[in-house]
This record gives sequence, C-alpha cells and structure tokens, in this order.
Amino acid sequence: MNSRNYLLKHLSSEQVSECILGQPSPALAQHVQDCPMCQAELGNFREALGEFRGAVRAWSNDQAKAALDIPAPVSQPRSIASHQLAWAVLIAVVCVIASFIMPRHGAENAAASDAVLLNQVDAQVSRTAPTSLEPLMKLVVQE
Amino acid sequence: MQLSATSELEHAVPRDVAALAGDFEALVRLYRPKVFRFALASLRDLDAAETVTQDCFLRAYQARDRFRQDCSMHTWLMQIAVNLIRDHTRNRRFQFWRRARLTAKPVDVAGQTIADRAQSPEAQALLKERVAAIWSAAERLPQKQRTVFLLRFVEDMDLLDIAVATGMREGTIKSHLFRAVRAVRERIGEAI
Repeated sequence: MNSRNYLLKHLSSEQVSECILGQPSPALAQHVQDCPMCQAELGNFREALGEFRGAVRAWSNDQAKAALDIPAPVSQPRSIASHQLAWAVLIAVVCVIASFIMPRHGAENAAASDAVLLNQVDAQVSRTAPTSLEPLMKLVVQE
Repeated sequence: MQLSATSELEHAVPRDVAALAGDFEALVRLYRPKVFRFALASLRDLDAAETVTQDCFLRAYQARDRFRQDCSMHTWLMQIAVNLIRDHTRNRRFQFWRRARLTAKPVDVAGQTIADRAQSPEAQALLKERVAAIWSAAERLPQKQRTVFLLRFVEDMDLLDIAVATGMREGTIKSHLFRAVRAVRERIGEAI
C-alpha cells in the first residue's frame, strides 16, 4: 500500500486482523487514521470484542456462583441423614434397654407361672384320693 | 510470603518458591476465578471446568518445587490449564457432548451484558448480536485457535505469555490469532 493509493482501498480482513492484534504497519495505521469507514469498522469490532470479554467474564462469574450454590440443597439431605442417624441411635438404645428389662419381666412371669403350677401339683399330690373317687371319700368320712 | 497484596502478586514473579506452599490457599483464591473462567470458556461445561480447575491447582501444588520463576504465576497456572483442557478435549466422551452441544441451542452469553449502556436499543441489539456471533464462532474454532483467541481476548494475555502458556512460538500464535480473528469476523458478517 503506497502513499498514493492507501486511501483508495479499505482494509482487507488480514489488515483488520493486524490492527486488532495491535501490530499494524505505519501505512495501515495511517489509513485507519484517515479513513472513517475503516476506523468505524475497527471501532465496532474492538467494541464487540470488549463486550465479548465482559460477557464471558460475567457468565463465568454467574456459573461459578451457581456452582457454589449447589451445596445448599445438598446440605438438606445431610441434615435428614443426621436425623435418621439420631433416630437409629435412639432406637438402638431403646432396644438395648429393652433387652435388659424384658428378660426380667419374662423371668418374673415364668416364676409366677411355675409357682401356680407347683401349687396345682401340690394340691393334686396332697389329695388323699383321686378326683374321681372324691365322692366316695365323702361317704367314708360321713360314716 | 504474604499474598494479600494482590496486584503485587499478579504481576511479579514470586521470589520465594517455598512460600508457595505456605500460602497456597491465597494463591487459589486469587487465581481460581481466572483458571475457572478460561476452562469454562474453553470447554463450556461447568463440571468439566470445575474438574480442570481443581486438577490445575492440584498439579500446581504437586509441582510447586519445579516452578522455575521464569514466568508469572498466572502464566504458569494457565500453562497447566491449557494442557489439562487439551487432554480433556481429546476425551471421546467430551467430543461427543461437544458435537451435541454445537447442534443445540447456544448459551446466551451475550445476554449477560450490554443492557445498561447509554446506547439506543438498536445499537444494543446489534452489539448483542455481534457478541453472540463471536461466542458462537469461538466455539467452532479449532482447538489451538480457540485457546489463543480466549487467552488473548478474554484473559488479556500478551503474546509472550500466551507463547509460554501454550508452548507455541510467537509466530505460530500470531498465525493462529490471525485465522481466529478472520473466522470470527466472517461469522459476525454472516450473523448480521
């Protein structure tokens, strides 16, 4: 691009890229300075790239915040789990206590039933005659 | 090393590498948003970006003794992130979902901005379309072009730092950037 025709042709895609990447030749820089169309073109693209940077950063921040918010609902199942654990421990304690108490009741009941049985046995053994002969025994006593 | 002086740390090379271990949490707090942003913009997948970010700092911690201090901490972390993202995008499962995403409704990243500018509604709409076109074009760029494009135009890194982060020569980076900018401009031309 010589000094005569540098204003006749607008920047090519490669030349715009050169300018965007910040390494334009002096002739290119001069053209951009003098050509309102190319200046506007570059300005628009730079603005879009700047907005793109801001948009990606904002999006990334939002995603990071969203990721940090994820543990919140996870904490609920954890509290439920801790409640379940507490209930399980409580039930286990009750079972242990019951295992100590219940056999005593059982032993007492068994002892009581044994006593009843022994009384019945004693009553049967202490009889002078079997039950079927008891009416005859009454007659003998009466005599 | 006290890492509360953010600006000092961001641009200076840490003089005491051993101190990295001492205040690694501060390093993570400082650079995590940048690494995450780059990973998210590259992969466009929240879970994958989280994974890459975590792996990045894990590897940095494991390799802190090998940090040669010939570049900034930011560039060094970006170098690790670039490698992790490259490995991740080679994963077949990721490639499948990326192809699926390309045909799906794009993320409305352009909706994040522009709203409160002192511009006419028409100008705002046009700018929004341009941003959406850049976002869409960036997704369709080849891996290397996309990486240098994002490092240059989202992360604001200069060519030398991009060269360190990507392991490419400066000339190669310029070439990729040229192609990327041309593709993006073409996309804007198609969209508007």
